[in-house]
Amino acid sequence: MIIYFRGCVVREKLKYISDATETILKRAGIDFTILTNETCCGSILMRTGFKDDAKEVMKDTLKKLEEFITKDDKILVSCAGCYNTLKNDYNELFGVNLDVIHTSELISQLISDGKLLVKKIPNKVTYHDPCHLGRHSSLYEEPREAIMEICTLVEMDRNRENSRCCGAGSGVRSAYPDTALLVAQRRIEDAEDTKAELIVTACSFCILNLQNALKHRMNELSDDTVDVNKSSINKVLDISELILMGLEDEKIGN
Amino acid sequence: MNRSFRTLRERRDKIIEDERTIQLQERVKNIRAYSIKNMDLLIEKVVKNFEKNGVEVILAEKSEDALDALYSIVKDESIIAKSKSNTAGEIGLSEFLEDKGVQVVETDLGDRIVQLDPDSNPSHPIGPASHLRMDDIVKIISNEFNIDIKPEPRAILDIIKQDVLLKLAKCNIGITGANSVAADDGSVITVHNEGNINLVSMLDIHIIIVGIDKLVETIEDAVSVVKLETIFASGKTVPAYMNVISSHSKTADIEKILLDGMYGPRRVVVILLDNGRKQAIKKGGECLLCIGCGSCIVTCPIYNEIGNEFGYKRYLGGRGVVLSSFIDGNQSCFDSGLFTCTLCGLCTNKCPVGIKTNNLIKNLRNDSVDLNIIIDEHKSIKDRIKKKGSPFKQ
Ligand code: SF4
Repeated sequence: MIIYFRGCVVREKLKYISDATETILKRAGIDFTILTNETCCGSILMRTGFKDDAKEVMKDTLKKLEEFITKDDKILVSCAGCYNTLKNDYNELFGVNLDVIHTSELISQLISDGKLLVKKIPNKVTYHDPCHLGRHSSLYEEPREAIMEICTLVEMDRNRENSRCCGAGSGVRSAYPDTALLVAQRRIEDAEDTKAELIVTACSFCILNLQNALKHRMNELSDDTVDVNKSSINKVLDISELILMGLEDEKIGN
Repeated sequence: MNRSFRTLRERRDKIIEDERTIQLQERVKNIRAYSIKNMDLLIEKVVKNFEKNGVEVILAEKSEDALDALYSIVKDESIIAKSKSNTAGEIGLSEFLEDKGVQVVETDLGDRIVQLDPDSNPSHPIGPASHLRMDDIVKIISNEFNIDIKPEPRAILDIIKQDVLLKLAKCNIGITGANSVAADDGSVITVHNEGNINLVSMLDIHIIIVGIDKLVETIEDAVSVVKLETIFASGKTVPAYMNVISSHSKTADIEKILLDGMYGPRRVVVILLDNGRKQAIKKGGECLLCIGCGSCIVTCPIYNEIGNEFGYKRYLGGRGVVLSSFIDGNQSCFDSGLFTCTLCGLCTNKCPVGIKTNNLIKNLRNDSVDLNIIIDEHKSIKDRIKKKGSPFKQ
């Protein structure tokens, strides 16, 4: 069975991502449960220097997970940070091998197994590799395979292991919001260079930061009468939302 | 800066995939790892071999020791010449000498421009003026020399060159850094493109200030290191100049009588600086594997936006942040940008010697929090997570 660990950003800020994910799972006939009493994966604490607090929180989360899951269960995550932490850091710290799967991996599997039927949509999208999923977990191709099943993928100049970070991670967005915004704006420019209409990514934290940058970019451009239509990008989407666009009779839950 | 960095990245990306580069990279990784492991032995050997070659050598434990040693040599001068050196920047050499009334002439074009600009600091180890645009530079120069010049690179070069050469003629002492030091041979290698080190190192006394982390075993190793550095720094296999210096200038052409200082310096003095490096080695020494190519800051998303605010003195970016903890302690490390890093790992991805800067930074954050040197907002987030399982306010 699939145990869905939504992560704090999806749970509290981007609920439409879990809605989209649930719709997809139901459509594919997947047996799943949402971990309703989920706690923090510990990623933020670990990466902002609170190692003892991180361990405490992580142990607690691990206990909850272990109470809930049986050995055939997979833990499904939407957030790249949760993925890297549950899969790699828990292994390093506690020696456990949690069977973690990211939504992009699952979706790509479901499509290739014929369990999820999607129709082509006309959009041109570019994919932003989240650091936690790409460089830190070497998961590059699955999200791309899923995207290419439903639309045209155009790569940014800096992609895969060379992908520019969105600028939010490891406490930078909370400590230095201006810097986080600058980096994300640069990533939006990278995406604009591809002439894609949508940025698709696989990390809820990247989405928050890139959306913020895109909003600023739009405001900037609407002030500039000469160049009104310069930005080709009109949305930042989670991969689950993109797939939803390809499911017949489904609206984007945004 | 972003534009200069992009050109650099594109040129470099091709050559670093070359089979020969990959082999060289493996060799240099081993050379550097050996050095870090055998530092005490290398120091012992280099002192012996420098002395054998007639090079004076001074071991400086702290910045102040290096500055004192240096001052005892330059104290009677009113002006001295210098080439680019991160180690000189580390000990605050120029500020120290200017304070003592000794004028310091930077001879690298970019550094000279930055030196004339009251508002800026170097932004890349090889391209220190890459954050300045032509118009800024023209403004800096017109202010300094009180003239109108064309916004044209050649015009800028000519005026700086003329001025530096005039000043060099008044200097008796030249100070340079070193890119690599061969302990078994007692030799120093310097790398440059402008030819300025040829001039600076030919003055009456040549002082070389260098960190002990630059030590390797042999000249062959030293050449490998600087070649790899050049490849990753500039995308070319060789710089214009690699100087190997193993002695002062001398001749015995008149009745076999040894005379010092024919065309080159009468004295060569090497100041070998520890300044926390041995401490760093005790903690693994990973950050000292660095060959100073600057590759990590070219790809760093944070550095690309905020520039040399992220880093420590001339040690730019995350690697500088790590080094600062050993040179100057945890508060300085915090101030250099310990928490400005997203731990994205791009620096690690393109480091020729495989330094995992993002991991080092992550570990230093633990030390910092233990000392209560923290970001307040992070503490609030921590408290919320522990209290209600979520980082968010509402
Ligand atoms: S840390 Fe690595 S990439 Fe950065 S300057 Fe040193 S050798 Fe180059």
